[in-house]
Amino acid sequence: MTGEDRIANGHRCGEDAAAYVLGALEPSEVDAFRAHLADCAACQREVAELEQVTGALPESTTRYHVPKDLRRRVMSEVRATPKAQAVPRKTSARSWRPALAWGGAFAAVVIIAVVLVVALSSGGSSTKTIQASTGSAELRITRGRGDLIVRRLAQLPQGRIYELWVQRGSSTPVPTGTLFGVRLDGTAAVGVPGSLNGVNAVMVTQEPAGGTPVPTTAPVIVARVT
Amino acid sequence: MLGSRGRSRSVDLRALADEELMGLVRDREVQAFEVIFDRHASAAFSLAYRMCGRRAAAEDIVQDAFLSLWRSGSGYDQRRGSVRSWVLSVVHNRAIDAFRRQGSRDRRDVPDEGIAERLAAPDATDAEVQRRDDARQVRTALDELPPDQRRVIELAYFGGLTHNQIAQMLDLPPGTVKGRMRLGLTKMRYVLGEEARAIA
Repeated sequence: MTGEDRIANGHRCGEDAAAYVLGALEPSEVDAFRAHLADCAACQREVAELEQVTGALPESTTRYHVPKDLRRRVMSEVRATPKAQAVPRKTSARSWRPALAWGGAFAAVVIIAVVLVVALSSGGSSTKTIQASTGSAELRITRGRGDLIVRRLAQLPQGRIYELWVQRGSSTPVPTGTLFGVRLDGTAAVGVPGSLNGVNAVMVTQEPAGGTPVPTTAPVIVARVT
Repeated sequence: MLGSRGRSRSVDLRALADEELMGLVRDREVQAFEVIFDRHASAAFSLAYRMCGRRAAAEDIVQDAFLSLWRSGSGYDQRRGSVRSWVLSVVHNRAIDAFRRQGSRDRRDVPDEGIAERLAAPDATDAEVQRRDDARQVRTALDELPPDQRRVIELAYFGGLTHNQIAQMLDLPPGTVKGRMRLGLTKMRYVLGEEARAIA
């Protein structure tokens, strides 16, 4: 803790940044810190600086040969992947169609379908908070990066999880690698990895635990970024 | 960035930068992906092995990370960092996910050393020489930390433990653990200086 630390939004700045970049916050603390991070320039700066250190930590490990059978397995699976199953480069209604049919089974738990229209000022430093008309989701954009805050989203049954996607142009949504569940009150706050520049929509679908490379259900949230 | 056309397969892919290769990976060029794998799989496996202590678990995590890169290559955004740091962060996150899924972790205290083959003399390409130099700097920065700071950083980053778990293990207040993490990382940042950005 330094003399420069201050309390913002009830959060003591700097206290959690190191634990966050080390992946050492409790899962229940991560969302709160990300929500704080979206509005706190001091913590954004500290996280960016400390991430440079944690990004270098893997280089300190003893180096091992890659087992040959591992290389063989990975390349074998890569070669066996039909191009049609790889991430399509163009809009594919086909990839969403089975999702819609499949999603019918979960219609009871799909409680919102939000459409947000967000004006994205590239390189801007202001935070834009857009409230959905239903009041159930908002996408906060700060300096081209987004945080999605959802409310009253359904708890999913065991083995299912929410997956976050981004869509650029008219291409099929690509996975962000972010999987999340919601708290008992149906709330969650997740950061959208990467810059939103060039992204025209942020989406959430329900997927099998572990996520999928292409959406298998219709989105429950569509946040359009223009 | 390379266009998807106009590049002959005869191009020596190994001479291309990662970011150029990723342009080809997006076009499902298996050979480009193979070069990416060969460049970074050792670092990925070494990190996973350090975290898991078991070869089989480390292999699963690395396989998962690289197949994720292949399947969602278009999701890779170079503005967020290098391909290497992306792969390593995926490996790190998957290992932590695996730990936390297991709850009480089924890990050996002593890694199954000897089952994995230590990389004694990697090819001395310029890039490898640079990486070895980078590795030496990071190890030195870590080793020079006070032991109590180094320990909490290693337990968190490589052990996948939360600050509360570390506090319980070391019988310390959680705030002390967070404070040591912060002090240690800040010192490493100071020691590594701008090098940290280049290494990461």
